[in-house]
Amino acid sequence: MIKTARFLTSLALAGLLGLASAQGVSIGILSPLTGGSAGTGQAQRAGFELALAEINAAGGVLGEPLRIIIEDTQANPAVGLAAFEKLMTEDDVEFIAGGFSSGVTLALVESFRTFQPIVMWIGGAVSGIGIDGFDGIEELIGEEDWFFHIHPWDYHNVGAATAFAAQTGSETVALLHEDSAFGGPGSAGAQALLEEAGMTVTLREAFTSTLLGGTGDFRAAISKAAATNADMLYWIGYDSDVVPLSGQIRELNFRPQHIFGAPPGWPTEFAAAPEAQCVTGLIGFMPNLTNPEAIAFTRDYRAMHGVDPDNYMAALAYANLWAYADAINAAGSTDQDAVIAELEAGTFRSPIGDWSFEPSVIAKHQGFGEDLWLVFQYQNGVREIVWPIEKATAPLVSCR
Amino acid sequence: MSASTRTRRTRPAQFPWDLVGLVLLAVAVAFAPDLLKALFGRASVSYLSIATNALSLSILALSWDVLARTGQLSLAHAAFYGAGAYTTALLARHADVPLWIGIPLGGLAAVVFALLLGAATLRLRGIYFAIATLSAAEVLKAVVHHLPTGIAGGNAGMNVPTLFRPEFIAGQMERWEVAFLRNEAYFYVYATLLCMTVLASILVQRSRLKHAFTAIRTNEEVAGVMGVRPARLKLLAFVLSSVFVGMLGGVEAHRVGSVLPEQSFSVSTTVLALVTPIFGGLYTTLGPIVGALGLSSVQEGLRRVFSDGYLIGYGVVLVLSILFMPRGVVGLVGGLLRRRGKREAGR
Amino acid sequence: MDTTLLVQALVSGVLAAGLYALVSVGLALAIGVIGIVNFAHGEFFMVGAFLAYQLFVTFGIDPVWSLFIVAPALFALGAIIYTSTIRFVLKAPELNQMLLTFGIGIILQNLALLIWGGDPRTIAGITYRGIGYQIGGVSIGLVPLASFVVSLVLVLGLYWMLARTPLGRAMRAVAQNRTGAALVGLEVNRVYLVAFALSALLAGIGGVMIAVIQSPTPVVGFAFTLKAFAIVVVAGLGNIRGILFAALFVAVAESLVATLVPNGDTLRNAVFFAIIFAVLIRRSWRTA
Repeated sequence: MIKTARFLTSLALAGLLGLASAQGVSIGILSPLTGGSAGTGQAQRAGFELALAEINAAGGVLGEPLRIIIEDTQANPAVGLAAFEKLMTEDDVEFIAGGFSSGVTLALVESFRTFQPIVMWIGGAVSGIGIDGFDGIEELIGEEDWFFHIHPWDYHNVGAATAFAAQTGSETVALLHEDSAFGGPGSAGAQALLEEAGMTVTLREAFTSTLLGGTGDFRAAISKAAATNADMLYWIGYDSDVVPLSGQIRELNFRPQHIFGAPPGWPTEFAAAPEAQCVTGLIGFMPNLTNPEAIAFTRDYRAMHGVDPDNYMAALAYANLWAYADAINAAGSTDQDAVIAELEAGTFRSPIGDWSFEPSVIAKHQGFGEDLWLVFQYQNGVREIVWPIEKATAPLVSCR
Repeated sequence: MSASTRTRRTRPAQFPWDLVGLVLLAVAVAFAPDLLKALFGRASVSYLSIATNALSLSILALSWDVLARTGQLSLAHAAFYGAGAYTTALLARHADVPLWIGIPLGGLAAVVFALLLGAATLRLRGIYFAIATLSAAEVLKAVVHHLPTGIAGGNAGMNVPTLFRPEFIAGQMERWEVAFLRNEAYFYVYATLLCMTVLASILVQRSRLKHAFTAIRTNEEVAGVMGVRPARLKLLAFVLSSVFVGMLGGVEAHRVGSVLPEQSFSVSTTVLALVTPIFGGLYTTLGPIVGALGLSSVQEGLRRVFSDGYLIGYGVVLVLSILFMPRGVVGLVGGLLRRRGKREAGR
Repeated sequence: MDTTLLVQALVSGVLAAGLYALVSVGLALAIGVIGIVNFAHGEFFMVGAFLAYQLFVTFGIDPVWSLFIVAPALFALGAIIYTSTIRFVLKAPELNQMLLTFGIGIILQNLALLIWGGDPRTIAGITYRGIGYQIGGVSIGLVPLASFVVSLVLVLGLYWMLARTPLGRAMRAVAQNRTGAALVGLEVNRVYLVAFALSALLAGIGGVMIAVIQSPTPVVGFAFTLKAFAIVVVAGLGNIRGILFAALFVAVAESLVATLVPNGDTLRNAVFFAIIFAVLIRRSWRTA
């Protein structure tokens, strides 16, 4: 009786949901596709879709077409948790990819531990290292065999940023940061590293991001930074803070030698804005990188989606899926130990160039570190790479 | 409306549908996890997770409705939720007490905040009341955010340990069964909270409080003249409306592993608390629960069919529902039943 | 504390009041005249912002001029939404109106997500976003100044319209007594339609301003809507001029705290809502 009911219900569900019989390897992806972080999620999805098309054109995985199943987390922990458990128990995936938001990642930790699928995670950069009494993602699951973290940790981000700041010749830096789990710990780490490098932090001041309930009037914070007359203004915020911050810096006649921002992404059209001139920014990928992988990626991405891969999350998602495909193919099966061994040993393709997993402070498998980051500068409507020097397309110019 | 109330009052002993319903609900949730497991095997883990989110919405919606019965349209339920979540998290972090104590104390913290807010807003009505409660919630969020980092974690928030960590015994069980045990345990906690909320709501509806609440909602001055004490009863409604939401915040903090100001005091919590009972049917026990289960199913169904823009469909359902079911799902069904009853009686 | 900073804080605060009043005035019309709590008002800002953006990208129209296209477009959108949905819930409880407009808001927000995506957009290539006039070390931003003037004109214009024109008198009449207004021969439905569409039009103007200052995103309207609701309610329903004073008070207070207190910018919302809360509570205990 129960068996019949179960059979009928599953039949009805399968019909209702249009589930094709799952053949070949499936990879489950968690991304914020709606809500305030939707831009990041959409960039990830676009990167995954391009990689998927290429992987399947090249013969798929283990001789079958690869499948991806994307679930929307809405950047909401409880929704993300249910989405992950759906992927594990309804779609029966063995591999998890994607990820964004430390709140969602923290919600998943317990269930990750239970299922122990291979998790190759783009988001959740809050390592927790250096925050007393708080366990970040790296501290919680970095040591797990099945956990692979692609995106740099927060200390990598500020490490790159301060390395850049140090070679601009700036002696004094004013730090403005948005006040959540992203900008708060980031700015504390940045202050420590800047001072270690011999620079003076004239001000560290928090603001409320437009993404998190602010109405985009940053004049008070900028005025205070301007009053310290620092050589460099270094801000950590979100993509939607770029335009109001940059405009108001000009409006308030604050002219530091360098204006340096570290949001997760930059609005595409901002390059053409006059107030963009001389602004420098940290970024993980740029369409005008000249390595052959970047050229091919940008060309194919544009052909598939009609826009440039401006949000570096697209490049990371692309790297994420290709690493899975290459490792599983090399392992010859979906056996977890074999795939982990291949992920640990392999070198993978990405738009940034070849990469592999290395240990970080705690994590066993860390994809990109400080070396991911580039600094660009808007120069006459074009984004020129100015750091690191070996990738530079133009020299850094001062704003004064 | 007044006519039906009068007839009901003259009828001496009515069959206690509501209490029977509560018992049925309790029995249903008691067997639900095992039934799901028997029917769907490992997929039951996912269904329990979705069901737990729906229970969470039910508790929120029904609690909001209890306060709304006195005419007080709260936009502070995110603050009740957040107060509970943070209290539970603070106790887990700083006090060496059993984890379980944090949840009722989370409820207590929400009640304390609700009483203060309720007392301050006693004389406010309608949208003035709503905006005052919204403002109080935003202020509490900011206060929590700006507590010293060593106490409440500031902008990074706090970790909160899970309540359940079932042991995995290799060879005897599969990994998903561990997840099942955890989800089942959380499901029962949420279900217990819902049953408590339902019981509170039923007790209100069965007692003279129901009419007192309605009188206050309809006309507070007249209610006062009739011998109802609006201030006391409004505060009582605040207590009933906040205690279970505070406890929910506490449990949920354990389940999602962290508290963060933006996450625990999200305005969307407040908005869902208000939208759900309207969708299901206001000023009833059944309505908010039907609303929560209905909206959860609609959203889950839509996201499984349409990968893109499923929330557009969700919005369309809300718009159509209010145009064609102005008294909510329960009001529509109730109206249809009554019409049929009348027709049959006329025959 | 440096006096220049203090003066700058005052100037920034006064000018910021312009934007607050601008985003509040349309909402005040909807609440004051129709008595509808429009949860989708923030999405009207968002649609206005994206329209200004699209007109700039596709036709190169500067927001200064697209204002005259976006405003009528939002008027039309408001009229369509009123005719197709709002008018059916006028007599329903206000909670039904909230659910309806919340649903409309979700639809608009997610349509925008489909059309424009989630990444922030920019109206680039306008020269005035970074312009500030420097007077004795204090900067007066051109954009905040313009939004201040625009909102002053709109608020006073609306006040004048309500007080002096036949349409305005009709609006006040239906706001006070719908049945009475119908009895004396006013076409109540027509008046409501115009009031709601006008409210959307004003939101459209606010949206263009937001698009100049910030990046249009599907969720850009949210923060402004919360504050606009609070300002309208504190000003008193139907009190259009009160919006100016309420906006001025909260904006200056915000700016002062943000400047004088370390990390004060993160206290803006706390200051804003604490003032709103205190005013509402104090008023209720004093007058009743």
